[in-house]
Amino acid sequence: MKPLPIALLAAAISLVAVVAQNPLCLAAALAGAIALLAASGGSRRLYVLFAAGSAVTVFVLNPFVGAQGLTVLWQGPPIPVLDTQVTVEELAFGAAAGMRIAAAALAVAAFVRLADSDLVLRAVARVAPRSAMITALSAQLLPALERDAAGLVHSVRTRGAEIRRPRAAATLLPALLGMSLERSLSVAEAMEARGYGQPGRSRAPERRATAMEWLVTGTATAALAVAVIAIGLGATDFRYYDTLDDPFGRAAELAAATLLVLLTTAAGMVRWTR
Amino acid sequence: MDALSFEGVRHRYPGAAQPSLAGIDLRIAAGELVLLVGDSGSGKSTLLRAAAGLVPHFHGGELHGRVTTGGLDTRSHRPGEIATVAGLVFQDPEAQLVMRTARREAAFGLENLGWPADDVAARAQEALMVTGAARLAGRATDRMSGGEQQRLAIASVLAMGQRLLLLDEPTSQLDPVAAEELLGLVVRLNHDRGITVVIAEHRTGRLFGDVDRVIALDAGVLLVDDTPQRAANALAGRRPWLLPPVAQAHARAGSSELPLSVREARRLTGDLDVPPLIAVPPSAAATPAAEIRRAHKRLGDVDALCDASASFAAGEVTALMGENGAGKTTLALAACGLLELDRGRVDRDGGAGYVSQNPAHHLLHESVADELEYGLRNLGVDSAERSARVAVELDRFGLVTVAKQHPRDLSSGERQRVAIASVTVMRPRLLVLDEPTRGVDGRQKLALAGLVRELADAGTAAVVVTHDMDFAAELADRVTTMADGRVIRDRGPRELLATSMFFASQVGLAFGCVSVSEAVTLISARTQAVSRV
Repeated sequence: MKPLPIALLAAAISLVAVVAQNPLCLAAALAGAIALLAASGGSRRLYVLFAAGSAVTVFVLNPFVGAQGLTVLWQGPPIPVLDTQVTVEELAFGAAAGMRIAAAALAVAAFVRLADSDLVLRAVARVAPRSAMITALSAQLLPALERDAAGLVHSVRTRGAEIRRPRAAATLLPALLGMSLERSLSVAEAMEARGYGQPGRSRAPERRATAMEWLVTGTATAALAVAVIAIGLGATDFRYYDTLDDPFGRAAELAAATLLVLLTTAAGMVRWTR
Repeated sequence: MDALSFEGVRHRYPGAAQPSLAGIDLRIAAGELVLLVGDSGSGKSTLLRAAAGLVPHFHGGELHGRVTTGGLDTRSHRPGEIATVAGLVFQDPEAQLVMRTARREAAFGLENLGWPADDVAARAQEALMVTGAARLAGRATDRMSGGEQQRLAIASVLAMGQRLLLLDEPTSQLDPVAAEELLGLVVRLNHDRGITVVIAEHRTGRLFGDVDRVIALDAGVLLVDDTPQRAANALAGRRPWLLPPVAQAHARAGSSELPLSVREARRLTGDLDVPPLIAVPPSAAATPAAEIRRAHKRLGDVDALCDASASFAAGEVTALMGENGAGKTTLALAACGLLELDRGRVDRDGGAGYVSQNPAHHLLHESVADELEYGLRNLGVDSAERSARVAVELDRFGLVTVAKQHPRDLSSGERQRVAIASVTVMRPRLLVLDEPTRGVDGRQKLALAGLVRELADAGTAAVVVTHDMDFAAELADRVTTMADGRVIRDRGPRELLATSMFFASQVGLAFGCVSVSEAVTLISARTQAVSRV
């Protein structure tokens, strides 16, 4: 698929995830991200695990690193450095932060899986024409990570480790990054050897966008516009501390519902295109 | 004008103690076909990278002397400019493909060089046609076999229209037929189109007799630069493993004349007194360390295994062979319990260890010793026993001196030994080595064959997944062949490697025997018989 419509959808989701405060809007962005990733097909387990793992970690840790909120839910024994008083507000803030991280991560994953990587590379070549390394990394890092991860898992399992254990999984991360960087260097070298970075680059003619791609682009633009307007008008504002606001304001409900409809409709069209 | 010249070239990589090139003087005329040979680390890849300007512009380091490629001095021209006169094809096809589809990949270089947009598509398509890759045009590059990817890599370079083609071990990942086709293509490009070709290869059997010149490197120094016949004579005493297997056999048998091709070998030797073929009984009769029955596995939209059955016997070395995409790795993973089958069953007697095609998959720790200890820790082996077993494996694989080093700082040969040792230290009953000779030179192959034989003699069922006929011929007690996810034959090595149309080794084709060692015995016997007469 052409990168522009997917980039617009990912931008709308990421904007809401990063800037909006209202949990309804964050939930709408997360639902849109899930729908978009679901439309990409194939194995999405790695991305889902990463997003869910990060979200749960933030949710669990937040009450113990923050010391805010007035509605005390549980008071634990004193432990140096940690705040063992858990409040409803801290849990709500942690849940919202988890939704933000998951929505942004899934939106990036959906972009990587759905956007035509060749066209992405061409686009990056326009803004970073001298840097083969950056381009190679942007185009190859995540797909290469997937392939290398499979090889590493075989190596670890054949040596008696169960990859489900977090410690075994952690052992793989430096090796995984090292391998991906080595591979990206090789690709960057091959790109240099084939004239990448020379001035006066031309472009072979590409196919025109299909009617469905135009439709997705229109819907994604609308979603991005709704996000910008809602944030600009304060419809996505929400206060977590000292006590929680009521999330069900009319403006917030309208913004969240509109975003949800637009994002899931666009994801449905993407799925239909594929 | 020379297509390529090196004048007093010395190069050292950043932080390296030894120079990678140490005083190279070399001239290659336009239209020549040159074979570059040498052990791993001898400087072949560096020489090709220097010709393409990647050394020093991409890799850095100190470069002294002058390299001129197609009239461009690499000191003052960057790789992008040199790409207009010389194309470089790398060893690993996967790591050099940039775009997702073949058509765009072939167009990539043309776009970089600013060819008019209307010409790009036409030239890309033409290059795909010349290399026999036109049917791949719309295919995704990550769904192609290694052979298809390498063919595409060559097409992508050819499309750019350079008159100098530099190839760095382009057949190392290809099955015998794909390798043969690719080398035939290279020779055709040189003969028919006058393209200058410099090709680095470890598998010299097919090419040695067809080239204009052979250049041998050793530790960055030119060891030999001569016609094939004179180069073979010069290398026979010093580096026989760099020669084609038929020449190796004659050199080791003390012949004064060395054949460089199967045809010459037949002419020189005539019919040898090859012992009659003795059929080896099916391996099911031996004690199996692993037995796979009627295995089915679907990967994506491909049936990777279809009703595949195989048995690997303790104390034997089995070569698992077949063309790219035949299902060898899938069967190997299933045998080791690393892949769940859709249907069928695997019975194993004891533990299994799998060493991947890419040794880097096994390098997870800060030191070689830690790497070897990792598996034993997971098995719950106590500390004293761990230390003892690690010491034994370090010694067996010649890794004692690098035990404290980071595995990723080692040479490719050492990395591979660490990967194998990290598995053998666990003493598996079944050991699978997947493509262990990728990018490995002749001397290292002999050492590897010795290690695998030692493990098999100690009771391990060793399975070597390989495309390397000559390696399999030296090592295997049995050869299992696959095609389209099925096991098609399970025979003794002579039945396949000496007589098969697809799997015959070079000495098999020339003399009807299996290995170089056997050929040496037969040639020596014949020479003695002739001298008696």
